[in-house]
Amino acid sequence: MSRTITITLMLAVALSIAAATAPAAEAPTRDEYVAGLETICQPDALATQRAMKGARGDIRAERFDAAAKKFARATAIFGGDVKEISAQPRPVADGERLSKWFTYLKRQEAYLVQITAQLRHDHPTKALRLIQRFIHAGTQANNVVLAFGFHWCSFEFSRYG
Amino acid sequence: MKRLLVALAVLASLTAATAHGERAQRGNLIVTLDGGFAPRALPRDRPAPVSVQLKAGLRTTDDTTLPRVTRVELGIPGQGLISSRGLPTCPPRQIRDTTTAKALEACRPALIGSGRMVAQVKIPNQPAFPVRARLLAFNGRVHGSRAVIVHGIAVRPPTVVVLPFLIHLRPGKFGTVLTAHLPPNLGPWPRFARFEMNFHRRYAYHGRRLSYISASCPVPKRVPFAPFSFAKATFTLADGRQISKGIARSCWGR
Repeated sequence: MSRTITITLMLAVALSIAAATAPAAEAPTRDEYVAGLETICQPDALATQRAMKGARGDIRAERFDAAAKKFARATAIFGGDVKEISAQPRPVADGERLSKWFTYLKRQEAYLVQITAQLRHDHPTKALRLIQRFIHAGTQANNVVLAFGFHWCSFEFSRYG
Repeated sequence: MKRLLVALAVLASLTAATAHGERAQRGNLIVTLDGGFAPRALPRDRPAPVSVQLKAGLRTTDDTTLPRVTRVELGIPGQGLISSRGLPTCPPRQIRDTTTAKALEACRPALIGSGRMVAQVKIPNQPAFPVRARLLAFNGRVHGSRAVIVHGIAVRPPTVVVLPFLIHLRPGKFGTVLTAHLPPNLGPWPRFARFEMNFHRRYAYHGRRLSYISASCPVPKRVPFAPFSFAKATFTLADGRQISKGIARSCWGR
């Protein structure tokens, strides 16, 4: 009886060790992670550039509705991008840093939603103030993952009109 | 006294505007870009004189020797206007192998800015050492194109470099581009590390007060300010890689 318990215990320990190490074995290296994310971000970054074309001119000419539509499109692209990249397996050693990065990205997404709403409500000053915060959050996001060397997944304000 | 106060005010506002430099990394190489302009409150409908400061640099994360840079490109937005109408030019040959004093003596009327530069010199079998240079920027023309002629002089070791930045206009966010090719005759040893340039020049032409750089803040009356893409620095390395960084700043309409 005691032998059966010992074997059962050993099996349980072995299974729990296997379960604990399995995600680590599947986790990508940082280079693999960056390469994977860049392929996701590139088309979205280019789509953002296209969607935002002329947004600055719209604000300058007080066409806030037109600018809001462009920001709404950019928000959808940004949100979809964040959702997709946050679902990718992360390098184990970078977990904390990446969760901080995603916090800033979520903050940027929230700002984009608010910018769109303020432009729709004809509140350009509030929208521009939020754009400043959006840029600041983007800079903070970039600083967190500086060592990753992202190009397409890093924030560049020049892609936003 | 009034000039001193104006200079202090310009310096203070530039410092305020440059409190946040930004970085990008490729491999073990980090590019930084910082900068600003003064005054930050500008007319909405016409350009007004401004001072522009740009600071850019390269460093490695592991303190290894910097790669050789073959080309530097600085982009500024189209709402910034470079005007050299009526401003004398400084032929590069006139300041080649000259001290700062001699360069100023020859080309002071064409002076448009000044700054500093640090390069790393790596001689085989010796530890790398920094070279600090003082920079002067002059209005010039090279092969028929408008250019900024940068004169750099270092004391230790005594070195003089004259580097023309050609000015091009092109469509896009950074409509005014300054490009310099670092000539191979500089040798394989000096590695560009960082520079800081301040551009500011007011001058009179046909009874009118003009400025080398002017800018407007084209925002509607009901909007007090607007963020915009202010500058972008791109470095091309000897192995063909490129590393760049853009920064955004805000202007206030008046």
